[in-house]
Amino acid sequence: MDEWKPNLATKPHKKRSWYLAWKYKLMNQRALRKLCQTGAVLFLLVTVIVNIKLILDTRRAAYEEEEESAQDYDDEMLNVEVPRHPVNNKKVLDVEVYSSRSKVYVAVDGTTVLEDEAREQGRGIHVIVLNQATGHVMAKRVFDTYSPHEDEAMVLFLNMIARGRILIFTVKDEGSFHLKDTAKNVLKSLGSQVAPFLSWRDMWTFVGKKGGEVYGEKHAKSPALSTWGDPILLKTEVHLTSVEDAECHWPDTELNRRRKRFCSKVEGYGSVCSCKDPTPIEFNPDPLKDNKVFNVPVAVIAGNRPNYLYRMLRSLLSAQGVNPQMITVFIDGYYEEPMDVVELFGLSGIQHTPISIKNARVSQHYKASLTATFNLFPDAKFAVVLEEDLDISVDFFSFLSQSIHLLEEDESLYCISAWNDQGYEHTAEDPSLLYRVETMPGLGWVLRKSLYKDELEPKWPTPEKLWDWDMWMRMPEQRKGRECIIPDISRSYHFGIVGLNMNGYFHEAYFKKHKFNTVPNVQLKNVESLRKDTYETEIHRLLGEAEVLDHSKNPCEDSFVPDTEGKVYVMFIKMEQEADFTTWTQLAKCLHIWDLDVRGNHKGLWRLFRKKNHFLVVGVPASPYSSKKPSSVTPIYMEPPAKEEGAVAMPAVPAAEQT
Amino acid sequence: HVVRKFLSLISSHNIPVYLIDPLILGLVDKDIEQIRSSPGGPSPECKYFCAPRDFTTFALLDKTWKPEMGLFRTAEKMGFQWLKIINKDPRLDGMDDLSGIEIPLHYIFKLASHAIHLVVFYERSGNYLWHGPLRLKQHMDRKFVPFRKLHFGRYPGAYEKPELLLVSIDDLKVQIPKNPSSFLQEMSHSRFLECRYREARAFFQLYPDDASLDAVEFRKKAKSLLHLAALTLNNLGVKFWLSSGTCLGWYRQCNVIPHSKDVDLGVFIRDYKADIIPAFKKAGLPLKHKFGKVEDSLELSFQGEDDVKLDIFFFYEEDDHIWNGGTQAKSGKKFKYLFPKFTLCWTEFVELKVHVPCETLQYVEANYGPDWKVPVKTWDWKSSPSNVQYNGVWPVDEWDDVIQIY
Repeated sequence: MDEWKPNLATKPHKKRSWYLAWKYKLMNQRALRKLCQTGAVLFLLVTVIVNIKLILDTRRAAYEEEEESAQDYDDEMLNVEVPRHPVNNKKVLDVEVYSSRSKVYVAVDGTTVLEDEAREQGRGIHVIVLNQATGHVMAKRVFDTYSPHEDEAMVLFLNMIARGRILIFTVKDEGSFHLKDTAKNVLKSLGSQVAPFLSWRDMWTFVGKKGGEVYGEKHAKSPALSTWGDPILLKTEVHLTSVEDAECHWPDTELNRRRKRFCSKVEGYGSVCSCKDPTPIEFNPDPLKDNKVFNVPVAVIAGNRPNYLYRMLRSLLSAQGVNPQMITVFIDGYYEEPMDVVELFGLSGIQHTPISIKNARVSQHYKASLTATFNLFPDAKFAVVLEEDLDISVDFFSFLSQSIHLLEEDESLYCISAWNDQGYEHTAEDPSLLYRVETMPGLGWVLRKSLYKDELEPKWPTPEKLWDWDMWMRMPEQRKGRECIIPDISRSYHFGIVGLNMNGYFHEAYFKKHKFNTVPNVQLKNVESLRKDTYETEIHRLLGEAEVLDHSKNPCEDSFVPDTEGKVYVMFIKMEQEADFTTWTQLAKCLHIWDLDVRGNHKGLWRLFRKKNHFLVVGVPASPYSSKKPSSVTPIYMEPPAKEEGAVAMPAVPAAEQT
Repeated sequence: HVVRKFLSLISSHNIPVYLIDPLILGLVDKDIEQIRSSPGGPSPECKYFCAPRDFTTFALLDKTWKPEMGLFRTAEKMGFQWLKIINKDPRLDGMDDLSGIEIPLHYIFKLASHAIHLVVFYERSGNYLWHGPLRLKQHMDRKFVPFRKLHFGRYPGAYEKPELLLVSIDDLKVQIPKNPSSFLQEMSHSRFLECRYREARAFFQLYPDDASLDAVEFRKKAKSLLHLAALTLNNLGVKFWLSSGTCLGWYRQCNVIPHSKDVDLGVFIRDYKADIIPAFKKAGLPLKHKFGKVEDSLELSFQGEDDVKLDIFFFYEEDDHIWNGGTQAKSGKKFKYLFPKFTLCWTEFVELKVHVPCETLQYVEANYGPDWKVPVKTWDWKSSPSNVQYNGVWPVDEWDDVIQIY
């Protein structure tokens, strides 16, 4: 409030000069007209001042209202009853649905619940689900059925909707090109007469009850390939049922009360809302013996992808040794549905007002979440950081429990991560094996509080810097040569596609074939050998026993590695200096592992599996392990591709970073 | 009676409460030896819980339970009426733009004419427990219980984590603080002030924070110096508070002022101990200079890591004001800084539970004048403070004693 004072102070001063001017003007006979003008301006000025004061006073009042006086337990605030919205007893809903090339909208009882006229967006079939008793919107989706596979997602979604719900469909632009028979049949079974014959650029609207009556359907055929069907507007009425009929009758328990709240609000979560046989929302996995991470807080970073969050939390709460009390879900934005999911599982959730845009927004959300986590759990020395698009392995906490003491004791460690960037189906083999790597994989990781509080938090990128938090953490200024511990077989699985930084192709290529541990209670082997110095001994031992592969063969060929099992092989590639990854990148490309930037290296050494044999790659001469190369062996050099190809691959790199 | 019913309710839901009622703890404290030594013996009379009063107060550690509706349903079945007081979580108050975070601070369970006041304690950064103030929202029943008579809730409070003892009093098994008298002592000085996060945010809007590497480094050093100083003084049992620039930093921006160059603490001269200097030396903070003497204008400076200095000013209490002294080394000139009288409150600063003057605004204004909200980079301790007074010159023959520089 105080910053306003100087302004106020200047006002009387101004007034006086106006007054002087007025006095002067009076003496001037010709200035009568100007006097009137002056008067008007004066009047205006006074009005402005009065208004400013009014605003100030209201603000101050509001401010003081919040600033509760410490003296008063029962400070007399106005005893105004909060007006309740009258319960809408109307039994009929008016529904309007509009379909056209460039715009769709849906209005329920005059309230617009969907409006999309954005260009080059929202193409396909829009679906809205209403609660048959209250008329509330329970789900809103768009399936771009012009593109492949979207119709399958739509079928999946429609199958998950409970019987009795009201479904509204409308097409924007084009929704038929990849709408296959299966999907058409599902629409037909809902009562649509048009859907089976929906074709190129037709407009279509449909309102019906799942497993029940049809309230209306309209269709406008496209007259020619190059044009669209005429816009259509469907107006219809929907009869509401009683709340009783719309709800399931589960036994009255604490859990089912949560379930009921959830299921009457949102749709699209399948059997969790099944009346007959609902899937559990409490999992009670076996506790872990001697669980070292039971009291480590878990921060789940989420956006507005409630279905992902639902899947993620299910897997997290099913992991052995999980402690739900320590989990906090941080939602970036005031989204209701993710919060509904959090509450369904009885967890705590915090919403965060978005700051900045794009990647910087994610970065600010991370910072707020990490700070809040350590504030809420002041005793914690670590925090587990997870994202909403991860599956969590059943032995995730067991893996951390066995390795977390290293992070506490070994200062050369930066993090423990559940994710191996190079751990694909064909390159990862041993669930009990751990590595040290110079890159920070993220995707389910443990952060040391001292690292965050003393180093990262004070210099975290500010909102105007449009940086990725993880790229920033990987920079040498932050990492300072420290390493992360990772498992050979990942303890998390990145299932997300519809993210900020992901597209379907990208996910297919780089994440889908990632190996994910499903074996419970894996006993990690040789954990102590992951310490800074013992790890070197371990590597030297490995290299000592490794058989040198035939360097005259093509390393991309399957035959490069003999058809054995359980052996250790080594190959040497050319690596002129520490940052020369030319050959490595080509090798990674042909091995179909992560090649968009360098991951998983430790002093110019990469460790993976090929054909169930441990496969070591040493960069010569940059790596200190180059001395293990027999003098007869010439390191393999692989040519980078021609420029054009590189140019195609490059734009994917920035997109890769939400990983 | 009511307490017995409440304890059975609580134990049936496995909720670990402990007794913090000052009246009962006061009675218990008188017989503490006997109670400690005879666990579980039947007692002939109801000596403690039957003392006349309107409330019995219990504490509950937030992280040891989860509020579930089941508890309240059972309570209702047993005839209890209950009231929950929630408010914003102060642990997240310092952060921009979080929401969805209200936490239960107090519960009151009423049965007939007696009520149980259950105070929820939260762990906070700085290894201490905090309970919130009790404020009624507008729709709440103001006559539910005579709120003004409650022992907890007028102000928020800060406490050490107590050691608990399971005892049997009046045939009831109940946890109590192991040392009731020191708990009661702590209770009388427990008032807690939250940092003014909202004003601090407004301040940073006007004057964006210095995010340079130097500033980050200085804050880190100042924080660790403050932690070390607090540890040392607490071990000696010397009460101290944030003073001068450090206090201003807390009050204005909830952080260390990056251009302040040192850490300032205040100590009442009556709390002075000769061990202070050797204790700091042992902690790795050698004496840098000592000005004045115990009887007059004492000031100690210790050398922290990399040029960050720790200043301890000793405060002298007069009838209507409090003052501390300053000395100019080269001239022997003395200065006096006057403050209105103040009491001490707890607060949290850089993950530390520390004292500040409760009447912080008056304290800061005395020191920095009405424009304390405007950052000043050049500061002369002899002329800039608005409460400085010239206080003569030290006699030359005392200089060796009152001006010691190392």
